[in-house]
Order: sequence, then C-alpha cells, then structure tokens
Amino acid sequence: MTFQLAVISLAGGIFFGVLLGLARISSRKYISCPATLYIHFFRSQPLILVIFWFYFFVPILFGKPMSAFISAIIGFIAFETAYFAEIIRGGIQSISKGQMQAAYATGMKHYQVMRYIVLPQALKNMLPSLMTQSIVLFQDTSLAYVIGLQEFLRRTSLVDSREVKSIELYLFSALVYLVICLTMSLFVRRFENKVHQGV
Amino acid sequence: MIEIKNVSLWLGDDFQVLKNVSTRFQKGRTTVICGPSGSGKSSLLRCINRLERFQKGEIIVDGLSVHDPKTDIYKLRENVGMVFQHFDLYPHMTALDNITLAPQKVRCLSRQTAESKALQLLERVGIMDKANSFPAQLSGGQQQRVAIARSLAMEPKIMLFDEPTSALDPEMIGEVLDVMIDLALEGMTMIVVTHEMGFAKKVAQEIIFMDHGEIVEAKNTSDFFNHPDHPRTRDFLNRILSHV
Repeated sequence: MTFQLAVISLAGGIFFGVLLGLARISSRKYISCPATLYIHFFRSQPLILVIFWFYFFVPILFGKPMSAFISAIIGFIAFETAYFAEIIRGGIQSISKGQMQAAYATGMKHYQVMRYIVLPQALKNMLPSLMTQSIVLFQDTSLAYVIGLQEFLRRTSLVDSREVKSIELYLFSALVYLVICLTMSLFVRRFENKVHQGV
Repeated sequence: MIEIKNVSLWLGDDFQVLKNVSTRFQKGRTTVICGPSGSGKSSLLRCINRLERFQKGEIIVDGLSVHDPKTDIYKLRENVGMVFQHFDLYPHMTALDNITLAPQKVRCLSRQTAESKALQLLERVGIMDKANSFPAQLSGGQQQRVAIARSLAMEPKIMLFDEPTSALDPEMIGEVLDVMIDLALEGMTMIVVTHEMGFAKKVAQEIIFMDHGEIVEAKNTSDFFNHPDHPRTRDFLNRILSHV
C-alpha cells in the first residue's frame, strides 16, 4: 500500500509537475499567473491539511463518497505537483537562453526547442533533486494514516494495539523507513557523482 | 533582400536601443556592422529574425514582413542562419547531431540525408574528424565552426553573424574568419557584426557604423576607410585601427 501510494503519486506528481512548471514560466500571463498561484498555495499548506481537505471536501463536491485511497492519491498528487513544478522550473531555467535562441534561429518551434534542447538537459540536471523529493514523498505517505488508510505506519499501529509492543514495533518501522530511504539516498549520491563526471 | 524601415526598439519602458534605423541589405553582398558596444548592432541583427521584437517600423526579409503577425516567423527563420558570439551549441549532442537536428525536425530530412550533408559541411569548415565529439571537447574555434555548419545545414539565403570571433582566443580567430571569407566569396548574403576590420576590408562591400542606436555612417568599404564623413566614425576608426 505504501509503495502503491508512493509510486502513483510520484508518477502523477512528475507528470503534472512538468506541465505546471512549463506553465509557470510561460510568457503568457493568463497561463503563468494561475500556475504561480497554485504553486504558492500548495507550498504554503501543510500536507496533512491537504490530505484532510481532499478526504472531506471532494466527496461533498461530487456528492458521493470516495475511497480513502483515491482521495489520498489525489491529495498527494495535488500537493507534490507544486513541489515538482518548482524543481522543473529551476531545471529549465538552468539551461542557457543562448542555446534556445540558437535553436529558434534554425526555425525550430517552441515545443521542438523544449523537447530536443531544453528538457533532455534540464531533466538530467534536476534528477538529483527530483530523487530527493521522491524520498520525501515516500516518507510523507505515512501521513495518509490520518484518514484511516492502511499504509505501513497504520498497519504497524494496528498490530501494536493487538500485541502491545509499541517500542519494538515502532523501532522496527523506523528501521524499515531508514533502510529504504538510505538506500535511495545512496543511489541518488551515486547518480550525482556520475552526472558531475559526465560532460 | 532585407529592407529595414524606421525601426525603433525599446528594452523595458524607457531604454531605447534602436532609434529610427533604416537601411537595406542586397542579395549576395557582405555588410559589416561595427560600432562601440551598446550601440545597438546586435539588437539590429536580432530584429531581423525576430529574436527581438521591435515596437516601431518595418523589416522585410525576402518579401516577408518580420513584425506582421500573419507571417510564419518559423518559415522566415529557416532561411536566415545565425551565428552567435558564444557559439551556443547544444552541449548534450555531438557536433554531428548539433548540425543534423534542425534539418531533420524542421526540413523533415531523413537521418541519412541529414548526416551525409552534415559531414560535407564539417569537411568544408575543416573539422571532419570532430563529428562525434561533444562541444565540451572542442576548442572555441572548432565550436564556432560547428555552429556555422549548423546554420548552413538549413541552406539559408542569408547569414547573420553576431560578433562571431569576440569570444575566441586570438590564435583561433583566423580559422573562423577563413570559413566566413570563403562563404562571402561564394556569394552568400551576409551581415556581420564584428570589430575585425581586416575581415571587413577583405570581403565586405559595405560597412555600417552605429553609435547610440543610430546608423551614423553607411558606405562602401573603400570610402568608409578612406573618407569617413562623420567625426564619430573617424574617432572610432582611429581608436580601433591604432592597434593593428
């Protein structure tokens, strides 16, 4: 459950993050303004509130109840999109304007310049921060606990209420998070070194 | 071929970069634009393919109006090659891929056709052996020659050069200028912003001197060097030629 939650939110967050990141730096005000507002709004809200929000508010909006899992997914994607969008904006802005102009000067269209020149380089530059954010996301999935979702931490507490071995159980779950996140961090560091060595 | 009529360009609200500039560039001729930095030379060049949008006036390139919203600016740019001061190659691609990208994506050539043409161009600029090198592995002069090949791959009718040798070490300037001289002698329509007066004397038919966003003097090459009218032109020439 924890993994499902993390992977789906990650995929959704990155997908919408790319779109929102591109929208944020658009030269057209009616595209960039809403995107900027969205990013600022979600970045100034605590995640736990966003989760509550989607859990209680969205069913009212649509007039029918929604499973805790779906509403958690939507909440995570909505929240993480804002963070990924900022990472992607930074990555795109790290690419020199000169290259883009050189590409425009050969007659390429905006989407071609993005697709062939900017995004391949930007994604490579921002992979480390994307991966760091993914680790944070993985840990944050534990917050879905508050709406009764049976993710890893919730399971732990359920077992705890049966077995009454709080210290051992929570130590164990801390260990699991530690191992998984440390492995991912090591992977990120490996990768960073590789990027720095490369051209 | 290129007609510039009363063009004014502002950057920001109150900084006027070009003031009512008018001139024309004829087919098959090489024009050098010189002048102190900040005089608007590069901006004028960038207005021609609308990398910079001017607010007033009109530019007609090969029958197409640059500022007219109905003009397909991408079509116009296909025929106008541009070479930049800092080369601006795509660092994640080999020299060969830098050259073949636009012909494949814009002209829809097959990879094979684009590559064989790119190799010919690399041979022409004298770095056939660097086809598979990345920009970071090339010297400045080599990078600029790849950049010229990249522009030529689109078979443009006009070539714009924006200070193509200003960022180069002195010993590499010659190799880039040689390529440009060949191009000019083959009859390419070229507009070159540069301080290389030797190049200007050798191949340019016309020289334009700009200062403070205005064209101060525009003359054919021998008149420009031998009988400059304007004191500002004389002053500029004295300063720039005293080191030669």
